[in-house]
Amino acid sequence: MARELPDNTRQLAFEVLRLRYWQLLLNEDLKKKRFAIPIHLAIGHEAIAVAAHTAMEPLDQLVLTHRNVAYHMARAGALEPIADEYALAPTGASGGRLGSMNLVNPARGVMYASSILGNNLPVACGLALGQQVQQRGGCVIVLTGDGAMEEGPFYESLVFAQSHHVPLLIMVENNNCSMASTIEQRRCPIAINRLCEAVGMPFLPLEGNEVMAYTAALRRMCATARQGQPACLEVAVTTFNQHAGPTPGWPTDPKRISLDNGLIVEPSVNDPVFVLQQQLGVPRFDALAEDVIAQRRLEPTVVG
Amino acid sequence: MAGYLAVVNQLIASATARIPNAVLYGENINTGSHLCGMTRNLTVPPGGRILNVGNCEPTHCGLGFGLMLSGLTSVLFMKQLDFTVLGMDHLISTYHVIRAHRRLDAMGSFTICVIVCDQGFQGPQSSFNALGDLCSQARVPGYTLTNQQDAAHVLERQLNAPGFRFVALSQRLFPTECLMPDLVYASEDSSVFQYSTGEEATIACFNFSLPEGLALQATLLARGVTSSLFSVNHVPAHDWGKITQSAAQTRRLIVMDDSKSGYSPAYELLHEVTRACPGARGVAVTRGAEVDFGVSPEAFQVDADAICSQLGVGKAAAGLRASLSVAR
Repeated sequence: MARELPDNTRQLAFEVLRLRYWQLLLNEDLKKKRFAIPIHLAIGHEAIAVAAHTAMEPLDQLVLTHRNVAYHMARAGALEPIADEYALAPTGASGGRLGSMNLVNPARGVMYASSILGNNLPVACGLALGQQVQQRGGCVIVLTGDGAMEEGPFYESLVFAQSHHVPLLIMVENNNCSMASTIEQRRCPIAINRLCEAVGMPFLPLEGNEVMAYTAALRRMCATARQGQPACLEVAVTTFNQHAGPTPGWPTDPKRISLDNGLIVEPSVNDPVFVLQQQLGVPRFDALAEDVIAQRRLEPTVVG
Repeated sequence: MAGYLAVVNQLIASATARIPNAVLYGENINTGSHLCGMTRNLTVPPGGRILNVGNCEPTHCGLGFGLMLSGLTSVLFMKQLDFTVLGMDHLISTYHVIRAHRRLDAMGSFTICVIVCDQGFQGPQSSFNALGDLCSQARVPGYTLTNQQDAAHVLERQLNAPGFRFVALSQRLFPTECLMPDLVYASEDSSVFQYSTGEEATIACFNFSLPEGLALQATLLARGVTSSLFSVNHVPAHDWGKITQSAAQTRRLIVMDDSKSGYSPAYELLHEVTRACPGARGVAVTRGAEVDFGVSPEAFQVDADAICSQLGVGKAAAGLRASLSVAR
C-alpha cells in the first residue's frame, strides 16, 4: 500500500517515522542509563527536522541548539554515529569528543551547535556572512527556541542579518518551554512577526506538524535567504519528553513513553507521527512503519 | 620620528590589505575618527569586506567565529578592551567548542584588535587594562603592541594565522613617539622579545610596561648596571627559556606589569626563575594591592632606588627616584 504514495511524499513520511523510531530507541537506552551525558531528545520535533533537512541544498549549512538530535539524525541518515557519540565511543560522529549539545557534522553541513541559549545566532550570522563573501550561493539555517529568543543576541542577529543582507534563515522552535517553565510562567508574550516587521525581515508562522507543508515552506524560505534576504519562521512544536533526564516540575516522564506502544506518542495534532497517520491512512502508515523498523539503515552513514 | 598611533595604524592597514577575502569589521571603523585613528586608511582586502557594524558586541564576537568556521580571516576592531567583556560568552565558550573540532588548522583566522584605555581619563568603567586576564580565561594568545618592533612582528605573523587571538594597542602611547628599540631576539610565536643584553640584571616587562622597562634600563645603566630587557606577551605554552637563561646569568630578575589584574603572570616567571636559580634575587614591580579605579592618570610608578636596593646593585643616588611612566 505504501508504494502507492508519490516518491517524495513517501520519503518524507518514511524519514519522520524513522526519526521517531530512532528517538524511541534512544529513549529506551536512556531508561537503561546507557549514557553519562545529558541527552535532549526531541520527540515531537520530527516534522520540522525532516523539513529542514529536505529543504537544504548541498551548499547550505545548519547551526543547531542543544536539542539537536532529530536534526543530526536526519542529516546523518543514521542512528549509530549519533548514539555512539552519546556513548562517547570512538565510533561516534565526532569520535566521542563533542557529546550531545555541541555535536557537529561538517560533512553534512552541520557546522555548529550550542548549549548556551542565543549563542549560536551570532555564529550563524558569521557563517552566513562567509557564504556571502565566498559567493557560495547557499544559506545558513539556524535553530533557536522560545527560550533562546529571549536572549539579546536574537535581536542583535535580526539587526545584523537584515543590515548586511546575509543568507540566513532563523528558525524558532516554540515548544512553550524553557527547561521547566512555560512562556506564561516566565515572560510576556513576544510577537516575533512584529519584531521581524520592525527590521523589515520576512516572517512565517508554521503549525500543524504536516511534514509536506513544512517542507514546501522551508524550501521557499531557504530560497529567499539564498537571495540575500534573511528570513525568520516560528514553528509550534510539542516536546513529549523531559528537558534532559529528570527535571523537577516537568510534567512528562520519558519512562512513560515506550516503544512497546508504537510510534505515536499522543493521538493529537501535536504529534507529527499521528498527523502523518491521519494523512496517509492507517494501512499505508502501518506498512511504512513496518518498513522503518525492518530497514534501520536505509541510507549509508555519512558523518564528519 | 613617527608617532605610535601612526606607525601601528600603518602596519595594520598594510597587513590587512593583503589578506584575501578578509572581513574587517567593527563599530565606526570607516567613519568619524576611525576609532581614534586605529582603523584609518584601511583598504578593502581582495575579495573581502570592510563592514561598519551596529552596536552589538556579543554578536560581533560570535560573528568572527562563524567566519572562522567558514575558513575566512576576519579582524574585529574594538574601541575599548572593556567592550570585549560583552562578548565573553563567545570568547570563552564558543572558542572552546571550535577548538574541540577535529581540524582547527583548516579553519580561518579571527583577531580582535582592541584599544586599551589606559590613559586614565575615561572613568572607572573603562579602566580594565589587563589583556592577560582576558586571554587566560580560554587560553587565547594576546599581544600588546608596545613599539615598532613588536607591532611589525605580531601584525605580520598573526593577523592571518589560523585560530583566535587578541592584539591590543595602548591608548596612553597614542600621543607618544613610537619606540624603536634594537631587537636582539624575537620568538617565532611573538611571545618573547629581547631588546638588550646585560650582565647585572634581567628585566621582563608584561602587558604595556615595556616603556617603563626601557626607562628603568636607562636609569640602571646610568648607575653602571647593564641589563637584559625583555617584553613578554600572553601566549599559552610559552617558552621563557631566554629569560630564565638570562636571569640565571645575571642572578637578578625584575618583573614589571602595569596591569590592574589581581594576578599577574609576572609572578609565575619570578617563581620559575627563583626555583630554577636558587639564590637569585627577584623584584616584582606591579600596581600592588591598592589600585585606583577612579578617573586618574595611569602613572605606573617605578622606584629605581628601591629596586637597586633590593637587588643590591647601583648606588641609590639622592633625587634619582624617578617617575618612569611614559610621558604623555
